[in-house]
Amino acid sequence: MLASWKQLIFQILLLLISCRHINTTSPDPTPPPLVPIDSLPRDVRRAAFKGEGQIEKVELLNPVNLELVCTWTGHQNKESNITGFWRKDGLEIENSHLTVQLENEQYQLQQVFNIVSEENLGNYSCVFESEVKIDFVVAVPQIGEIRDKPVVTYVGDSGVITCKMEDSKPMPNTWKWYKANGTDKEEIFAAAEPQRYEIKNNERKTKLLVNNLTMADSGLYYCGAVYTLSTSMGHVELKVITYYEPLKPFMAIVAEVFILVTAILLFERSRSKKNDTEGDMMSDQTNTLSPGENNGLEGSSSMRQRKT
Amino acid sequence: MPPAAATNLGYTPPDGGWGWAIVVGAFISIGFSYAFPKSLTIYFKDIQEYFAVSYSEIAWVSSVMLASMYAAGPVSSILVNRYGSRPVVMVGGVMVSTGMVLASFGTAIIHLYLCIGVIGGFGLAFNLQPALTIIGTYFQVKRPLANGLAMTGSPVVLFTLAPLNQFLLDSFGWRGSFLILGGIVLNCCVAGSLMRPVNKKALKKTEKTEPPECNGGAAEEAATVDTITQSDNLTEENQKESKSQGCVNRFIDISLFKHRGFLIYLIGNVVMFFGFFAPVVFLAPCAKHKGIDEYSAAFLLSIFALADMFIRPTTGFIGNTKWIRPRIQYFFSFAVSYNGVCHLLFPLASEYTGLVVYAVFFGFAFGMLSALLFEVLMDLVGAHRFSSAVGLVTIIECGPVLLGPPLSGALVDIFGDYKYMYYACGVFMLVPGIFFFIMHYFNYRRLDKERGQIVAVDVRTCEEAVELKTNPDDKAAHDTDE
Repeated sequence: MLASWKQLIFQILLLLISCRHINTTSPDPTPPPLVPIDSLPRDVRRAAFKGEGQIEKVELLNPVNLELVCTWTGHQNKESNITGFWRKDGLEIENSHLTVQLENEQYQLQQVFNIVSEENLGNYSCVFESEVKIDFVVAVPQIGEIRDKPVVTYVGDSGVITCKMEDSKPMPNTWKWYKANGTDKEEIFAAAEPQRYEIKNNERKTKLLVNNLTMADSGLYYCGAVYTLSTSMGHVELKVITYYEPLKPFMAIVAEVFILVTAILLFERSRSKKNDTEGDMMSDQTNTLSPGENNGLEGSSSMRQRKT
Repeated sequence: MPPAAATNLGYTPPDGGWGWAIVVGAFISIGFSYAFPKSLTIYFKDIQEYFAVSYSEIAWVSSVMLASMYAAGPVSSILVNRYGSRPVVMVGGVMVSTGMVLASFGTAIIHLYLCIGVIGGFGLAFNLQPALTIIGTYFQVKRPLANGLAMTGSPVVLFTLAPLNQFLLDSFGWRGSFLILGGIVLNCCVAGSLMRPVNKKALKKTEKTEPPECNGGAAEEAATVDTITQSDNLTEENQKESKSQGCVNRFIDISLFKHRGFLIYLIGNVVMFFGFFAPVVFLAPCAKHKGIDEYSAAFLLSIFALADMFIRPTTGFIGNTKWIRPRIQYFFSFAVSYNGVCHLLFPLASEYTGLVVYAVFFGFAFGMLSALLFEVLMDLVGAHRFSSAVGLVTIIECGPVLLGPPLSGALVDIFGDYKYMYYACGVFMLVPGIFFFIMHYFNYRRLDKERGQIVAVDVRTCEEAVELKTNPDDKAAHDTDE
């Protein structure tokens, strides 16, 4: 019985130690997830310092144990020990200060981060001696190919907005659509209003159809590519205008054409009147002219015909 | 020698004056006819998304428009022969405008095929033929220059429409843009209103007042003659024979198929058009395939358009010089062959500089050919029959023009490389070029022989006329003629 008590105490001790370990590596205000940490796959990303403002992109889809490794060859006078620490989103991670030893002519910092939810995503930086920094942007795949110009549609017409995840990036689990409402986003549920909204999802493409547009439908629409960790957003602007908008330039151009045509034909008529007064004496048979040249549109020559 | 025989039009074309206003009108009409179908491609992506169709289905709109424009050629010719240029152009402008306005309200892709494709295409055909025909009635001596200037409309309008269309799309979407384009294309009616029919009476009178001169007539003729004088004099006899057919000939001149020059032109053109448009269509995709980014590839097209724009009036001017004008068919053959050589050498270009050089040379070649394309036809058949000729030529060219790009695309797909397509296009242009050189050499020789015969005949009839008029002067006339 004493042995089983010892085993139980030993297990409790182990549990306490592992709990404390979790608390120091991920500064989460929320309690850790129920998924056992060790069962997560491990993803290792390495980076060697090349220059200022170095940014490495880390694309993740699912929860992982992310190990980030930074190496630096150091200054010319290489000291044997330097300090290094980690930052997340610009804020220093507690208890992350380490003393780094010079091994194989370089310094190496490594740390394992549990990326399990959206809060774990962000900008992780490893810093050597508060001067040399490498940034790791840990995020879900971003939508690259998205329309930057607004989609212009008309009142009463239907509008189509598409979003696409490139072939080079992993496919999302599903797609969601949101409409901007002030600074908030409201999710669009096509099932709730089937006459108004229609969402067509393909694996890599999603299409939002908005029918019976009104002026109120103008604004920003967000498409979200849903991955296990988080949703990556892209936005497209929809502009709804009335038919009067293009009608105004159209009428202006038609008026311009009408004015020019009338001016040219009037000018021609006045010229031909002058010529007629000279040529009336000499003109004899006009029958040789082909009948086609005298048409209703051409006032001048038909007038000439009538005179002679 | 009566100067009327030199032109055989029955009057002396003004070669200036209101003719330059005609050139402006033709510039607008020709510009819209060629540039409008090409510029609509900017809207395709948006329309494709809106109607949820594939790219090839939307590309059909351009093809149907081009096909209608070429197929409606004979209809346009018949109308021009009957009613003159002005009403046809104005009706054409109204048709394209109506087509675009209706298309802006379309609810299915088939509406676009019908409105833009069929109605628009017909309207553009009613713009192209009359514009070309009326130049022939106003110009004789300066005709190559007038043609070159008028054909410059195509690259200039395309250059203007491309950024304008992008702006319209961003501001109004495709529907509003089609509505506004319907308005813009209505300016063809303005062009049509400029196309006053030439005043043949006034110009005829000036000829009648001049006394017929028999002495030195042959020398005068050499200055302004072109091949029409000989061909027209000969085919007049053919025409008298076929007038017994009557009805058809009043509308369109089928006897052209017996015309030697016309047949040479037709055969050469049909082969040539297989390789004419494809290199333009594939220039940007080929550049992207070689690793050039999208903006630089688009810039190549701009360079091509600028070279094209510059060379067309220049070609017209060169074609008008006294060294080239009498043998303008050779100049055209050179232009066709130059195109072929350009395409054959294209695969040598690998980096961007090579492509830029190619774009410049190809721009020159394309422009040269386009500027001369209709001038040589006018030169061969004469202004009288040009209207029917161009109608027949366009409907027969319809096939190669439509089949050319898809066939080239198929070549690219089969071989996975653009160079075989360029080799094929090069061959398709070089062979007709050489064909033209050879055939026109023989044609010119025959025409010179026939001209010699006509001069002899004319001199004899002139002598007889002089004999009848003044008997005592008989011997004096004989002496001066010899």
